[in-house]
This record gives sequence, C-alpha cells and structure tokens, in this order.
Amino acid sequence: MEQQSTVQSPSSLDIKDIIRHQRNRYPVLLVDKIIELTPGKSAVGIKCFTYNEWFFPGHFDDEPNVPGFVQIESLVQTFIMTFLCMDEYSGQKTNFVSINNIRFRRKIVPGDVLRIEASLKTLSRGIAIGCATSTVDGAEACSAEFVVALPAVLEKYKPRSA
Amino acid sequence: MDNYSKYVTAYVETFAVSADDAPGLRYQSIPAWDSVGHMALIAALEGVFSVELDIDDIIDFSSFERGKEILSKYAVVV
Repeated sequence: MEQQSTVQSPSSLDIKDIIRHQRNRYPVLLVDKIIELTPGKSAVGIKCFTYNEWFFPGHFDDEPNVPGFVQIESLVQTFIMTFLCMDEYSGQKTNFVSINNIRFRRKIVPGDVLRIEASLKTLSRGIAIGCATSTVDGAEACSAEFVVALPAVLEKYKPRSA
Repeated sequence: MDNYSKYVTAYVETFAVSADDAPGLRYQSIPAWDSVGHMALIAALEGVFSVELDIDDIIDFSSFERGKEILSKYAVVV
C-alpha cells in the first residue's frame, strides 16, 4: 500500500516525496527533507549526518568527516528539487554539466545537520542554472554554482541529422 | 570583433576547439557537440547575438555552416 507524505505543508517534502520526484537512491540519496519550496525558484533542504553513514569508516577512520563530493551532491540534490517538484519535470534524471565556484568552509562531522538553501536562476530547454549554499548551525559550510541538464528535455532539441 | 569572429569564438569556447577547426564541425562530429553541448552552443550564440532561436531552428542547427544560414533568418550576417 502506498504511504502518504508525512509533511503537512504543500511547500515542503518528506523523504517519500523526494523519492517520488527525483531518481537518486541509497547510497547516494543525500537530502532528507525539503522544508521550504517555491517551485521554479528555490528550495531549502536538510541533510542529517550520523556516524552510520557508509562513507565515514573510509573518510577517515581516525577523523570522520563528510567527503567533498557528498557535500556537493547534497547541494545539487536540493537544487534539482526546485524544478523536479514541478509536474512537467518530476521523476526525470538529471546530469551535471558544470560545477563552478565551489567553496568548502568547514568540516562536516557526525552529528552535524546540514541546511541547504538552493535557488534556480534559469531553466530553459532542459538546462538549469543556479546555486546552493549549506550551513551548519548558521555557519557556512559549502557553496557552489551548478549547471544541470535534463536529458529527456534536451532530446527534443537535438538536431535531426548531423 | 566582427560577427564571424564572434561566431567562431562561440564554438571555441563551447567545445574547446581551435578557431581553425571550428568551420568543419557538425553535430556529433566531436564528443563535445552532443545534446548538452548543442544547447550550450545555442545559448552562447543567443547571448552573443541577442536573438532567441525557434525550436525548429535549434533542431535544424546541425553544423557550423548550417548555423550561419539559420542565423541569417534572425538578421545576423556571419
């Protein structure tokens, strides 16, 4: 039996809603919930890190902290929810086109709760451009600018013949 | 910079090719000109020439040479 969303506001998404809208799954589904959402504009995501995360034993056994690529994935998975929450894009796969101006400001360790604020600058013809910034207890942790493609949309615009 | 130079520069910057190689390019003739690269090129050209291409023209934009013909429809003489 399909379970219903546990969030009460239409402007927020729980993990079941996120799974419905985006294609990332364990072990690379890296946003737990969306607490604020303005479709086509912005999203605020939450990711809680516990010592049980699969990467902590390897990064590093004597000093566990969240790898940079995981932080970037958390940012972009919040970012893509700004448009994957819309009916016309829901459930589509996305690909990175570029990641620019990445900044890592602090280590993220077991017990930290990442708050990710993402905004969509433009979405045109299957290319989404925007940025995201994460914080832990109000202190900036990581930020980046993204260009993300929606291959299913791009397919409509590719030349018929080479 | 004249329009031809702007046109070539869009290919150079989008696909990381030399200016000498740009004129012979066709869609999928190099790995960089795939479906993502195609939209990046269109976006670059729209920005450089301040035009907005129709979907039929985007689909028809299959080569360096064909692109010049298409841009002429938008009063951009390359």
